[in-house]
Amino acid sequence: MPDDVTEGQAERTAAEKQAVAAKPAATDAKPAAEAKPAATDAKPVAEAKPAAEAKPAAAKPAKAAPPPDPRVVAATAVAEQIKASLERALGPGVVDETGAFKDVPQLVIASGKWLAAARFLRDEPEHAYTYVELFAGTDYKDKGYIEVALYVQSVANNRFINLKVRTPRDDAKLDSLTGLFPGVNWEEREVYDLLGVVFTGHPDLRRIMMWEGWNGYPLRKDYSPFENIPVKGGNGS
Amino acid sequence: MCALRSEEMILNVGPQHPSTHGVFRLVVTIDGEQIVDADPVVGYLHRGTEKLAEDLQYVQIIPYTDRLDYVASMLNNYALCHTVEYALDLEVPARAEYLRIIVMELQRVASHLLFLGTYLLDLGAMSPFLYAFQEREQIIMLFNEICGARLTYNYMRVGGVQWDAPPGWIEKVRDFTAQMQKKVPMYHQLVTGNEIFLNRVRGIGVISQEDGIAYAMSGINLRSTGFNWDLRKNRPYSIYDQFEWAVPVGKNGDCFDRYFIHLQEIEQSLNIVAQAVERVPDGPIIGKVPKLVRVPAGEYYRGIEGARGELGVYLVSDGKDKPYRLKLRRPSFVNLQILRKLLIGQSMANLIAILGAVDIVLGEVDA
Repeated sequence: MPDDVTEGQAERTAAEKQAVAAKPAATDAKPAAEAKPAATDAKPVAEAKPAAEAKPAAAKPAKAAPPPDPRVVAATAVAEQIKASLERALGPGVVDETGAFKDVPQLVIASGKWLAAARFLRDEPEHAYTYVELFAGTDYKDKGYIEVALYVQSVANNRFINLKVRTPRDDAKLDSLTGLFPGVNWEEREVYDLLGVVFTGHPDLRRIMMWEGWNGYPLRKDYSPFENIPVKGGNGS
Repeated sequence: MCALRSEEMILNVGPQHPSTHGVFRLVVTIDGEQIVDADPVVGYLHRGTEKLAEDLQYVQIIPYTDRLDYVASMLNNYALCHTVEYALDLEVPARAEYLRIIVMELQRVASHLLFLGTYLLDLGAMSPFLYAFQEREQIIMLFNEICGARLTYNYMRVGGVQWDAPPGWIEKVRDFTAQMQKKVPMYHQLVTGNEIFLNRVRGIGVISQEDGIAYAMSGINLRSTGFNWDLRKNRPYSIYDQFEWAVPVGKNGDCFDRYFIHLQEIEQSLNIVAQAVERVPDGPIIGKVPKLVRVPAGEYYRGIEGARGELGVYLVSDGKDKPYRLKLRRPSFVNLQILRKLLIGQSMANLIAILGAVDIVLGEVDA
């Protein structure tokens, strides 16, 4: 592992890390690596991770041996279809990943296109994903990002899909979907409150469960309930 | 022309106001009798269930779900167990499915009875409350017999249920169902045709179908707008497809429709229970489940039709015996968002009627 790898790069997946290890020259291409060379001292921790993650990555091909679930195959095909449609409308690079869990197709949207993709999928009659069922955030500390999942139903076409978007933990920021779906207003406030994702364009971004002045974001994986006792206190409103 | 000078005033409703049914605060700006703005403040009952669940094994989380919507705990138990079963592709024995259906639908009846009682109490009618609680008490006693608790049941397990029905329990349920089915017309006589009640609730707090969908509402709030969306029919789970029953929908989306659908759903739930008690098969009450449940890595979302709307569990697992992330989609929390829109422009007296009809439980809103 080259020693100019910064914390920002520790965010990438195990596969990417292996690629980086294979050709160290590629890391220089990342502006993040050059922007903060000072962070290189803190490396021992981050360096241990790729080694640990390499194992599950190697074990995966063995797991994939049983025949694939037909539901997953069908759902992945639907995800691919939606991806093609999205790319036709919004240009390439809208969808980072496609896949499926059980019977639910899944698309990982590029964070810059989150709002545009959601709007397209809501307004286009062939998609018509209008009814939001779930909006949830998850902190993937080891991968370095926070993932927001939106499960949305197309009532007209009777389809149910999962859209996801990822944002780096240290600068968690996403476009707000409140303009499209007023029903995610409080859900976004909850994700902001508990996971610290800032939703730009949200009309009323305040904490909702904890009070203003609470320290830290409780649902983050590195949050310790005993070290984060609030200091500022008091209910702001 | 000179209008009467008026001044805006800020009024705090709650957090300890009886008609908020818990610790819910509503900061209302009023101009005379008119509501100019309303800001719901929630979170007083936040216990961090989602965070706590990350340190618990799946079986250990079940009692925590009891405390979400504490007037419909059976349904909460089921939502969690069902998601884990879905993730594991687990077969549930037929007897367990029947026992689950019976307790879930009885729970829905109990929850709706509580709504009727307290809603009418909020509107100033005392006696329906006493009737409703009498019948609800019988259901609670039935639950007490089957699992030993009156409110926080902790009855379901991954793969089945914890306790078999004691001897004679099924017959008791059959008797209760028959007796309760006869009582529903009494509620209609007592309340539905009442002129004073109708004037309080007709055309008040109208939700349009577009708003219902855009605000991600679910359950009776959504169905009152005329939109037929019931997860028991639209995304079938358990054995609901083996029974004959209908989904009551409203027309106008007002408080009256929401009240009326509650009563109709009681009838439909009793209908399901009446069919189920006749067919309960013998057999095991819990499937073959490993002692330590490990959910394969991945993410799973399942929603069930709770008493108040879509009760969903979103589970992210990394293959361990504890969830990596557990998100609870609480219907009351999502449904409550529309409150501000419903209240603006209404008079203060309608506030209670509208808030009551949205039917929230604060344990669920705050999780």
